[in-house]
Amino acid sequence: MDQECCWNRDVIEQADCPKIGVGEEDLLVLKRQRNLEKCSDCPRLLSDLKQLRDENNPLAPILGDLLAEYHRQKNQIQSLVSFLDNKTLEMRFFHELGSVLQSSVDLDEVLSVALTAITAGKGFGMNRAFLLLTDREVGMLSGYLGIGPRNIEEASYVWNEIEQNDMDLQTLAQNFRLNKLSSERAKFHDLLEQLTVPLSNKDHILIKALDGKLPIMVESAFQHPDVPPELARLLGVDTFLLMPLISRNRRIGMIIADNCITHRPITEEDMHSLETFGFPVAFAIERASLYDKLQVELNRVTEAGKKLKEQQELIVRMENMALVGRITSSIAHSVRNPLMIIGGFARSMLKNSAESDPKRSFIESIVEETHQLEGVLDEILNYSDSLYPTRDFWDVNQLVVAALGESAVTLTPLGYAISYIPGHDLPPVYIDFKQLSYCLRTVLQNDVIGVSNDLSIEINSQSGENCVILRIEDHSRQISQTELDWLLVPFSETRDLGAGLGLALCKSMLEKQGIPFVAEANVQNGIRYTITLPTRKEDSHE
Amino acid sequence: MSRLLVVDDEANIRLLYAEELKDEGYEVVTAASSAEAAEKLHEGVFDLAVLDIKLKNESGIDLLQKLVKERHDMPVILCSAFSCYKDDFSAWLADGYVVKSGDLTELKQEIARVLAKKALKVKAGA
Repeated sequence: MDQECCWNRDVIEQADCPKIGVGEEDLLVLKRQRNLEKCSDCPRLLSDLKQLRDENNPLAPILGDLLAEYHRQKNQIQSLVSFLDNKTLEMRFFHELGSVLQSSVDLDEVLSVALTAITAGKGFGMNRAFLLLTDREVGMLSGYLGIGPRNIEEASYVWNEIEQNDMDLQTLAQNFRLNKLSSERAKFHDLLEQLTVPLSNKDHILIKALDGKLPIMVESAFQHPDVPPELARLLGVDTFLLMPLISRNRRIGMIIADNCITHRPITEEDMHSLETFGFPVAFAIERASLYDKLQVELNRVTEAGKKLKEQQELIVRMENMALVGRITSSIAHSVRNPLMIIGGFARSMLKNSAESDPKRSFIESIVEETHQLEGVLDEILNYSDSLYPTRDFWDVNQLVVAALGESAVTLTPLGYAISYIPGHDLPPVYIDFKQLSYCLRTVLQNDVIGVSNDLSIEINSQSGENCVILRIEDHSRQISQTELDWLLVPFSETRDLGAGLGLALCKSMLEKQGIPFVAEANVQNGIRYTITLPTRKEDSHE
Repeated sequence: MSRLLVVDDEANIRLLYAEELKDEGYEVVTAASSAEAAEKLHEGVFDLAVLDIKLKNESGIDLLQKLVKERHDMPVILCSAFSCYKDDFSAWLADGYVVKSGDLTELKQEIARVLAKKALKVKAGA
């Protein structure tokens, strides 16, 4: 028999076998492997077999049967391999998806991964997906996020981009989250707004799917008796899949997926795969939501802890201040009476002593020193008062008018002219009225040296941003900025400059209330004080 | 001559007030406590009372409230080592408030002012 095929030769040439391709040259010398892989479906071998049959060789029929069976089994194996390959890919995809979903507690990341997986070609390959989340507090199922192209042009662009970049699922999801989450939200904003259904609407197909906890494949949506026409119109597709997201028997939300661009039929297999996928997604969403809530609660607790610590410190500080205040007050009271008696009797003696009395100057000194000490005592008592500001909302005009009224008794007999221009529609200010009143009186009456001929004081108030600005321009006191700054230092030696603690105490009182106090001196024009009074409680120091 | 009642627990202060106010032409009677003040008030009529707010274990404010209730026609001036009581509601019942000082000018002026006001009131009533 003349053989057409090279099946019984140990070594063959490339030209001998039409089945051996480039890269398979090693088969030229491997006879057994070549027979199994290439010869079984080679037309030349079949031709040789035909020749055997024609020659009535008894082996020909059985060889033909064996070859047919071999072909059948080979095809079956190839099909199984292909199936296993697909399953391996699917398993790899689920593994990848699972690891991303399990490791994330960020809701946006979870949602990005979930929706990317549904729409990516490497995933479920759906064209478009919408995620709806349940809000138990308001009793609604509401559209939250959408992903997918709106038309064929956009689809081509996006799918082309994905194909060119050849990204894995995680990279795709990250890319979506970073670059497209906001834009997709905006793109589907109106649609998502309308995808809102009350959980109590048990007849609505979305709620039916959610309550039934099973996916529903909707076909012929426009004619479907259970699908509201507005839903079909909104989605604009005839076929879509409703996949409820259930975690620990709790209704987390819903995924609506469709093939609005390709119109590829959604198969039963798609539905089962998505159903399997739905469980980890629902669990991940719930976990991320709980984590968010936990984070909010943790922040609250941290904030509360911080406030508690501040309050504790404040209490300790107040206790210390209260103690200091009580001691100061007690000492001042104990000193006041003897001082008054010494000063009072000294004045009495001075009044009754002759001008020529050599001891008169001694008595004058006692009078002067006791007067000075009484001034210091007043300020110490005021300082202890300043430790406890009691704030409330007050009218600035009332404040200024009251202070002017009390200061007029002292200043008017001295020839002072005081004017006040109130601002229009001033909001109430949050202050300790008593302390502010004291500060204004002190500023107005401050016994600063260097009195000029211009005995005028101008006051004006005006509204600012969340504040009322009070300006006092005292043209009567001429002093340098250095000297003025010195007066603003508490307990500094100010006797030569003025009335001791007065201005420093004002500054300290105001600062304690978070009220800026600026004093600017100009030897020619006098002193300008600017007090910025808060109009909001939160802007003051509590 | 106006009759003044001075109530203060410090003997030297009572003495100082008495001397200084007598020089101003007033008749001055002093008391060291609420009880003594009540006695003096029982004994005679006064045109004005000067009260210290801190009277050893007593409160001048309590005495003020009692006087306002029982002697509403007699003005009262509070005299204290503390300026803080000036803004205290309870002190607002008094006709005047003076912070204690070796310089009695303010007290004297306040007494004169309150007495003048009383005189005007009496005149208007008559």
